[in-house]
Amino acid sequence: MKSARCLLHLQCLRLLDRSARSAAQCAPLLQSSSSSQPSVLHKNQHQLLRQFHSSPAWSKSQPTPADDHKKDKSLVTNDDLFEQVAKDVKVKATFNKVVDVFLNRDVRRRGHVEFIYAALKKMPEFGVERDLTVYNKLLDVFPKEVFVPRNAVQRMFNHYPRQQECGVQLLEQMEEYGVMPNVETKVLLVQIFGKKAHPVRKYQRMMYWMPKFKHVNPFPVPVQLPEDPVDVARFGLARIANDLDAKVNVYQLPCTDITETGEEITIPHVVGIQSPSQMELLAKHNPNRPVFVEGPFPLWLRQTCVHYYVLRADPPEEKVEEPYDPERSLYYPLQLDVDFGRDLGDEENFDVEDLDEGPVFAMCMTGRGDQATLNQWISGLQENNPMLGQVPTLFRVNAGPQELSASADAESGQAHRPDTKTRSGEKLQRDGEPGVIVEEEPQRRQGRNQ
Amino acid sequence: MMMNANRLVVVSKCVQSCKRLLACNVRHAGKKIQQVQQQRLFRTHCRQLAYAKDLFLGSLNKDEVFPYPEIGKEELDEINQLVAPVEKFFSEEVDSAKIDREAKIPEETLKGLKELGLFGLMVPEEYGGLGLSNTMYARLAEITSLDGSIAVTLAAHQAIGLKGILIAGTEAQKQKYLPKLASGEHIAAFCLTEPGSGSDAASIQTRATLSEDGKHYLINGSKIWISNGGMADIMTVFARTEVVVDGVKEDKISAFIVERAFGGITSGKPEDKLGIRGSNTCEVSFDNVPVPVENVIGEVGGGFKIAMNILNSGRFSMGSSSAGMIKKLITMTSEYAATRKQFNKSLSEFGLIQEKFAVMSLNAFIMESMAYLTAGMMDRPGLPDCSLEAAMVKVFSSERAWICVSEALQVLGGLGYTKNYPYERYLRDCRILPIFEGTNEVLRMYIALTGMQYAGKITTWKINEIKKGNVGLAISMLVKRMMNKFSSSVDLGLTGKDGVVHPSMTESAKMLELNVTHFGWTVETLLYRFGKTIVDEQIALKRVADVLINLYAMTAVLSRASRSITIGLKNNDHEILLTNTFCSEAFFKNNYMIHQLQTHTPGNSDANIKKIAAEVLQDRSYICAHPLEGIY
Repeated sequence: MKSARCLLHLQCLRLLDRSARSAAQCAPLLQSSSSSQPSVLHKNQHQLLRQFHSSPAWSKSQPTPADDHKKDKSLVTNDDLFEQVAKDVKVKATFNKVVDVFLNRDVRRRGHVEFIYAALKKMPEFGVERDLTVYNKLLDVFPKEVFVPRNAVQRMFNHYPRQQECGVQLLEQMEEYGVMPNVETKVLLVQIFGKKAHPVRKYQRMMYWMPKFKHVNPFPVPVQLPEDPVDVARFGLARIANDLDAKVNVYQLPCTDITETGEEITIPHVVGIQSPSQMELLAKHNPNRPVFVEGPFPLWLRQTCVHYYVLRADPPEEKVEEPYDPERSLYYPLQLDVDFGRDLGDEENFDVEDLDEGPVFAMCMTGRGDQATLNQWISGLQENNPMLGQVPTLFRVNAGPQELSASADAESGQAHRPDTKTRSGEKLQRDGEPGVIVEEEPQRRQGRNQ
Repeated sequence: MMMNANRLVVVSKCVQSCKRLLACNVRHAGKKIQQVQQQRLFRTHCRQLAYAKDLFLGSLNKDEVFPYPEIGKEELDEINQLVAPVEKFFSEEVDSAKIDREAKIPEETLKGLKELGLFGLMVPEEYGGLGLSNTMYARLAEITSLDGSIAVTLAAHQAIGLKGILIAGTEAQKQKYLPKLASGEHIAAFCLTEPGSGSDAASIQTRATLSEDGKHYLINGSKIWISNGGMADIMTVFARTEVVVDGVKEDKISAFIVERAFGGITSGKPEDKLGIRGSNTCEVSFDNVPVPVENVIGEVGGGFKIAMNILNSGRFSMGSSSAGMIKKLITMTSEYAATRKQFNKSLSEFGLIQEKFAVMSLNAFIMESMAYLTAGMMDRPGLPDCSLEAAMVKVFSSERAWICVSEALQVLGGLGYTKNYPYERYLRDCRILPIFEGTNEVLRMYIALTGMQYAGKITTWKINEIKKGNVGLAISMLVKRMMNKFSSSVDLGLTGKDGVVHPSMTESAKMLELNVTHFGWTVETLLYRFGKTIVDEQIALKRVADVLINLYAMTAVLSRASRSITIGLKNNDHEILLTNTFCSEAFFKNNYMIHQLQTHTPGNSDANIKKIAAEVLQDRSYICAHPLEGIY
């Protein structure tokens, strides 16, 4: 609604413009008509006034002098502007200040395209890359009306391509950061480029798809991950387990101690998760068959990579079906004494999730992936799972996560690397070759914990 | 030309006779196997025939349910003599509002009930009870149900509490306990449910261990939601015992008679309930309660069967008690509807109010018919197994009672919602009906699966026979199916020459026959489709149970109305009207449900229902976005 009304005003303004009336004449008119639309239209008004000063004809017919041009257009200048104005603190306020400085510097806004490009690049530095108002403010830097095509020929060809490209680039960056434009954006775009220009088309496409994709992920990761590694581990584990009954246990809190000799000792965090059904599975596990601690496996939470370990066993050799107890249900038979099963047409047993990969009994995340730390976890688990005392526990642990996450952090482009490394290690191990990375040490947990 | 035609006739004749021969053969074989099956199935039961189970085969065993069971004149006089004082007592001396308010039945009321002999209705006369038949018990339940709390107290005492001693106790046990229980000196309770065990007997934790001298069992554990738990002197307690079966030690459930006097029994605080507030429900804990070995009911380790039999036998009376309640409500509300005026018209002149009364009397009529038909079947010589029928009566009447009481309350509007009128109390009281004595959900499973098991035996035989290469059977089945598909009427013998239904209800009877036939066919299809995995198709089974309940209800009303019109009872034309109304309504409902039971029919949204539930349950909350939300 709002946008439609704004557009209407805009058209009316354009008419005014064409008839070449003085700005003074139209200002009061605008004032009265826009009283109900405070923010957007006031801005319009200012722009309009300014725009009358520098009509498109003027800017086209009189190219800026060469020396001026160079000085203003160079990218360095604009970068410098940011560095100058925001020397110490890079926050939204200073960013806005920079934009204001630019706006006030030259009424013709010479070099605005370069400025916008520079600003877009600087946005993450100022932490405003997800701020819609800042994007709108940047868009506002474009002079209005100037780039709107006025006749069929202009409309047919790419009118002011650099400016349009710049506008599209701005929208693209918004899209990249998941910022959805709003009506103000649209009004601005229409004012700047006209109703059917590329940036407006881009805007329309964004408004079609972005809402549709906004909630498409059933397991959303928050934009701001918690700082505390324990909280991250908590979140990550709950995310993989995807079981509302699963309980997260912090077996060890991270802390740093300085011993008398001056050595620094860091105790890594150990956070584990286990659900009641996993406990049940573990309790039923055949004690003669070992359980494995495996890992680290990577888990990406937006930009951060964390690693987890699993406690699992090989798939049971044969499925033991519980014998049917006819004296179980007091009210109705739980099983029919009929000889035949399902008809083929109603056979829906196939399930992609029903694979014999063996049960997973618990998962954990830790700050350090060595065996001593993982032992902490296992002994913590043993409190609620006495079965673990009788089962041999094998550690199939690859290189520690520090190294992996370091490489992952260093270059996000090679994000898949730790993963493949882990896989290959696993494969080696599966083949029975005691590889270099693989550390396998069967041991009786019972003995250790006495 | 002539030759040709002749030849054609000959050929067709030949085919026909062939077919007949084959069919004959098959039918014969089928009968034989059916007999064998039945013998095997019913070895434990005395009765050879079962009405409801046979419906699953698409056959209507009319001898079972026609004519409607009757009682003799002496019995009728006897019951009327019994009923009159009880009715007087309930209308004059029972203050239901007070019982509900104070959540306690006063001592003097209990004393009055005991003096009337209401605590020993089913106990044989030689043990000091009234020795009533099931039919007469059902008749009295109509009146006792006027106060929910008293009805539940009585039912917990005699329908389940002392039933164990009655059906499986030894002579000595009966001699020792029944007289005092029948007089009401001792009150009984039934202790089965535990915190971790509702319908699942495997999770019963209460344990009975044999003492060293072998003379006592020591019972340990706790039971919850025990009706009369706070005041019972004698309890039937179910506990795990160690039993040696074939040299292997096994845990099996046994039933014990436990006296409060044995010591070690503590009852918790009475539960604060929605309805039936006057009845005493509480937790009972057993701490090393010594129970003499001779107090085991039945065999050691045979408790499961006893529990099931007790539970199955107690249900039939819910039909008559609900009917009694609704009949009372009709009287009360019609009074109001006739006097209350709006727009210069009394309420009874408004169509929407009339509809409510029609619904109430229809349902009361059906419940009554079903309850007394079942009671009559149970009263037949031998020990007929009517648990399926009883379960149907329970499910039907408990659900319809809720609807009817709610409609009665609605007639009064806001007045009904206040505590000044008894309707809100009735509404609260009758909410327990679909819950206790087996929730309606488990009973529906029981109804459907028992029948499925019965039909499954015969289907298994047929399949095996076809696998062996019995082509005749296969062809006959095919022909039967085709006939089923294209015929719109079937004759199962309800009407016509040997008909049992009065001609005024021919159409209704035809509807029943058609439904029964289609039902049998549907059951067969379901069995072919799902086989033994049908136990997991609960939504389909619910429909099967619902169709069966409707069929049984149709049978009951047809049978009752036929008797009424034949012997000329008063207002029999009204019964005919009710019967025809219900039958046509049920017919369409059944057709719809049968249609839904076919594969992938448009009316069948089971897959969607399952998916909805799965998505909600995965998040354990309502998952839709709020309608006011948007994406900005």
